[in-house]
Amino acid sequence: MGQKDRYQNRIELLQGTLDLLILQTLQWGPRHGYGITQAIKARSAELLQVDTGSLYPALHRLERARFVAAEWTVSANNQRVRVYSLTAAGRQRLLSERSRWEQLSAAIASVLAPCPLEEEL
Amino acid sequence: MKSPHWFRRHRNEELNEELQGHLRMATEDRVERGETPREASAAARREFGNVGLVRDVTRDMWGFGWLERLVRDVQYACRGLLHNRVYACAAIVTLALGIGATTAIFSILDSLLLRALPVRDPGRLVLLSGRGGNDATTYKGITWTYPIWDEIRRRPELFEAAGAYSTVQFDLAPSGETETVEGLWTSGRFFDLLGVKPVLGRTFRDEDDRRGGGLEGPVAVISYAFWQRRFGGAVDVVGRSVTIDRSGVTVHIVGVTPPQFFGPEVGRGFDVALPFGALDVLSSERPSRLDARQSWWLKIVGRLRPDQTMASATAALRAVQPQIRTATMPETYRPTDYASFIRQPFSLVPAAAGFSDLRSQYERPLAVLMAIVALVLFVACANVANLQLARASARRHELGVRRALGASRLRLARQMLVESLVVAAAGAALGLVIARWGSALLLQQLSNSVSTTFLDLRLDWRLLGFATAVATATAILFGLVPALRAARVDAGDTLRNERGIAGAGRNFVGHSLVVAQVGLSLVLVIAAGLFVRSFTVLARVDLGIDTDRVLAVEVRGARAMLPNERSAFLERVQQAAASVAGVQHVSLASVAPVSGHRNLTAMRPPGTPGTDEGRDVYLNDVGPGWFASLGIRMVAGRDFSASDGADQPLVVIVNKTFAKWYFGDEYAIGRTVPCQTFDGQRIVTRDATVVGVVQDSVYRDVREVAPPTVYQPFAQLLRPGLRPAAAYLLVRSAHGSPVAVARGVVSEIAKIDSTLTLRVRRMRDQVDAAATQERLVAMISAFFGLLALVLAAVGVFGVTAYAVNRRHAEIGLRMALGASQANVVRLVLRRVLVLVAIGLAAGGAAGFWASRFVEALLFGIEPHDPVTFAGAAMVLAVVGLLAAALPAWRASRIDPTTVMRTL
Repeated sequence: MGQKDRYQNRIELLQGTLDLLILQTLQWGPRHGYGITQAIKARSAELLQVDTGSLYPALHRLERARFVAAEWTVSANNQRVRVYSLTAAGRQRLLSERSRWEQLSAAIASVLAPCPLEEEL
Repeated sequence: MKSPHWFRRHRNEELNEELQGHLRMATEDRVERGETPREASAAARREFGNVGLVRDVTRDMWGFGWLERLVRDVQYACRGLLHNRVYACAAIVTLALGIGATTAIFSILDSLLLRALPVRDPGRLVLLSGRGGNDATTYKGITWTYPIWDEIRRRPELFEAAGAYSTVQFDLAPSGETETVEGLWTSGRFFDLLGVKPVLGRTFRDEDDRRGGGLEGPVAVISYAFWQRRFGGAVDVVGRSVTIDRSGVTVHIVGVTPPQFFGPEVGRGFDVALPFGALDVLSSERPSRLDARQSWWLKIVGRLRPDQTMASATAALRAVQPQIRTATMPETYRPTDYASFIRQPFSLVPAAAGFSDLRSQYERPLAVLMAIVALVLFVACANVANLQLARASARRHELGVRRALGASRLRLARQMLVESLVVAAAGAALGLVIARWGSALLLQQLSNSVSTTFLDLRLDWRLLGFATAVATATAILFGLVPALRAARVDAGDTLRNERGIAGAGRNFVGHSLVVAQVGLSLVLVIAAGLFVRSFTVLARVDLGIDTDRVLAVEVRGARAMLPNERSAFLERVQQAAASVAGVQHVSLASVAPVSGHRNLTAMRPPGTPGTDEGRDVYLNDVGPGWFASLGIRMVAGRDFSASDGADQPLVVIVNKTFAKWYFGDEYAIGRTVPCQTFDGQRIVTRDATVVGVVQDSVYRDVREVAPPTVYQPFAQLLRPGLRPAAAYLLVRSAHGSPVAVARGVVSEIAKIDSTLTLRVRRMRDQVDAAATQERLVAMISAFFGLLALVLAAVGVFGVTAYAVNRRHAEIGLRMALGASQANVVRLVLRRVLVLVAIGLAAGGAAGFWASRFVEALLFGIEPHDPVTFAGAAMVLAVVGLLAAALPAWRASRIDPTTVMRTL
């Protein structure tokens, strides 16, 4: 499989959805950066690949906004890793991001649905 | 951001560790899935992308990436500038000159005109002035008599507080050579009025100002600077004493003012202040100056109450004005003067920035100089912008490469702007050094042998702020265009089209800059021309006196002023001076030319209608031989002689202007002029016979050479009311410099009376000092005119050289096709000369428009003086041509074969 195919199989993340995905992933428990990419990959059946060039800026941005907290711990195989966890504000944020996403996808779905009026004409 | 540097380093390491951890885990996962470690590592890296880039964009999220980028940009800019030292030096020095000049003038302007006095609530201070409030001629220099101050003091309801002061020079030496210091006479609570608290001891109380001295006798407050200079800052200075004007009276020091207070008069520091009350003790002149209703010598200051406005305070003052004026009517006034004296309205002017005669004198020159240096700064900016443009085109390749490597347009523009800021900052730093030095030099030029100017020119936040603002503005001015250009650089273009036949590519911005430069420079050269010519005219004015080998010795002291003894005593002094070896001639007068003193009266020619007082006529009392010692020619009649004594018929000598104006012709001998004299009780007007007519000569102002003047014999000076302003000996040396005989003269006079205060000056210095302002403006404008000329030449040279460089290939091709060297020179020069011509036209028009603002500063020359305008344009045209000639000549030396080979 060439380089081109690899990119074609991936779905570009919509602007602003990465925050939602990160927050949702952390909802299930604290994770390090690599863990987050793996989780998103696994949950999306390898369709969503998070670009590290987007992930780490997003993580640090969320940390600065205090939606996530980070601390250094030792992983299962004895490595120092930076682990991110959801804060109370982050939980709130997740809820609002989520409902916004649901509204958005519902809106897109209704736009994409076949329009009966058009058929009559 | 707490200790940002350490903090950032730490976070950078953490981020690195975090990203490396990510890579490691990804690799390990792949290895677990069966890839070889080598493959796994490569694949993980590929998947991860550019580690450095990820790190950079992540760091941006920390919120102070801009700071780091700025630091990096600054570092990069510094490296670039170090790499290109010629450019850096040229740009920094050019800017430093511009910024330094601007800051120097600003520092003087600021301390003289803008800065508020370091006193409590200066905004509520007002100065009593003599003209109507809405009259444009309101001025601050007006002085009042002590009786008028007394009347105002007795009306406390007029202001929250009021005070008066007068600047003088005190002689502190008890004997021997004069030690002159800046003195201040003040009313009782003058320092309280200003809100100046002493750093040591106390300031004056009302008791100190009691006439004849307070409870502690005569007391003095000294300035911080004087305390340091004279007493070495001794802590026990309070209680020590000084003697003033050789009165023999001990004056106790009671306090020291704070270091930032330099006295109420801007431009004039103060050393010793005394209360008015002590004046009678220290001076034996009688009647006392405190009673004299015609001695106008003090300034009156008020502090407005919170509920008062300028208008309400003025109204209250005008309500009592008739009473005050009536009570203080000068005895010498004639009944016809009464009404107009009472009518003259009092008014108030704001005094927040202090009170200064220097200010009114230099307000306009300084404003003009400020405009001049601002123009110089613009020219300097244009020059640096041009340098930058030339450099930017040399850097197109570098910028192109950086674009190709992924630098954004914004990034490149910012980079260029940062570089400009670095250059401007360096220029400003150097400029501040130049400004410190320049303003001190200027101040030195403002002071002369006759008077010392003192200004507080310390480097403070105002100056630093000004320099910073100027530097930022210049950086934007000269850096914006190159920055925008850098943003427009296209990666592909520059990398592909490295060098080819650029053709006659337009350099619109560069051309406009040259036009602006030439235009502004022309304005500056015109200004320089006008001021220099004006000064030369002034310096060449025939003053009607011969100042060579003449000393003016001002004689002050008790006995020199007593009406009864004065004349006989001074004649003894005169004889003593004449006995000194090397002295050719000595004469006496009340007023020396250009000394600043004057005696005035108003006269109207006989038989002319009108009710006004007439025209100002200058008076002087001169001894026999005075005209000869100054080289003033007698036109008709005779000089005064020893026989024109006090008990002889009154005689006068008049100058030609007076004779023409008063008698209608020059034949005035034998006719009479009314003169005021003192008959023992009252001042009366008597007729005096004209015995001589002399050539016109300068009296007080070198700009006004022939005022109508009446000379009376010194021995007939019987006007106790019309107090003589001073007494002068004019000493002419037999040969060589008159300074050689000065010491002998002083010691001979001291033998007669050691309490006399003598001030000796060369007449020539006195005359030169009178043109200080013109000389200063001429010098500065000439300097900047020259600087502008150099900058314009560099600008023209730069743009031409740049054009030749760009058209190198085209010119080579033309020559290969048969163009002669002359053709090439013409080709290059034609365009430059068009630019210079446009600049000259624009600059000439601007100069024509702007020159009317300097009209008031010009003497004996029209603001639109065609010679100056044409000369300045010629000079610039020649300089422009020369500056363009060198690159043009170089263009004609281009070797076509070399060009063809490189194409």
